[in-house]
Amino acid sequence: MDLLSGTLQGYLLVAFLLFLIGLATVLLRRTLLLQFMGIELMLNAANVALLAFARWRGSDLQGTVFYLFIIAVAACEAAVGLALVIGLHRHRATTDADKASSLKQ
Amino acid sequence: MFLTFAILALAGALALLLQKNAIEAGLCMALSFLGVSGLFVLLGNPVAAALQIIVYAGAILILVLFVIMLLNSHEEEPAEVSRPIQRWGSVALVAVLGLGAFRLLNGSPALAELAAKPVTGASTNLHSLGDMLFSQHLLGFEVAGFLLLAAMIGAVALVKKNL
Repeated sequence: MDLLSGTLQGYLLVAFLLFLIGLATVLLRRTLLLQFMGIELMLNAANVALLAFARWRGSDLQGTVFYLFIIAVAACEAAVGLALVIGLHRHRATTDADKASSLKQ
Repeated sequence: MFLTFAILALAGALALLLQKNAIEAGLCMALSFLGVSGLFVLLGNPVAAALQIIVYAGAILILVLFVIMLLNSHEEEPAEVSRPIQRWGSVALVAVLGLGAFRLLNGSPALAELAAKPVTGASTNLHSLGDMLFSQHLLGFEVAGFLLLAAMIGAVALVKKNL
């Protein structure tokens, strides 16, 4: 098996690595905007895996349809998420996720 | 070609993780998205590749960069308290997940069987995609449109000072 050429496993490996980097971005960075970019990266990794499986299952069009739905949800998430970041910045003058901790007290 | 686009996508993502400046991190994310859209072309899906560039590298990225400039938060603020347990816990979680995923990738017989089959079928074209979308997934399409409307109204309501 050759992971470095365009096999199904190669595409899945890229998807896994993209997902893990996105997860690490969400967990390790504190700026909400960077965490948001990490979430987008994870959604993208899911898209890569979805379309790779669709290709190896006889170029199934359902995969592309679900890809369309995923990016529709990602666009909604971008709009609402960024609105929440702006709301936090208005109330706390920060975009640091660690400083939005008033529910802890 | 696969290797070029895969490295482009992963290098952009890694630079996003390590970048200090938020604007530069956004540009690294654009690089990653372009690499992913190249992978979609190689997967015989030019429709998805075009949508990837239009929606992600076009709309979402511009929105993110716009908000970064609006809030003027280019640099990560210094941490008030360092949380070493959370940090190393996160690294350990990512490592364990990666190990599990890699073992799954190498050890699944069903996956190897699927990958051994030759790739069949033509590349996706917009006509057949539209046919399927409006015949079999019409309800989902309408719900997605409604969701976009709800998100738009919600975003306006969240940032508007006095409605």
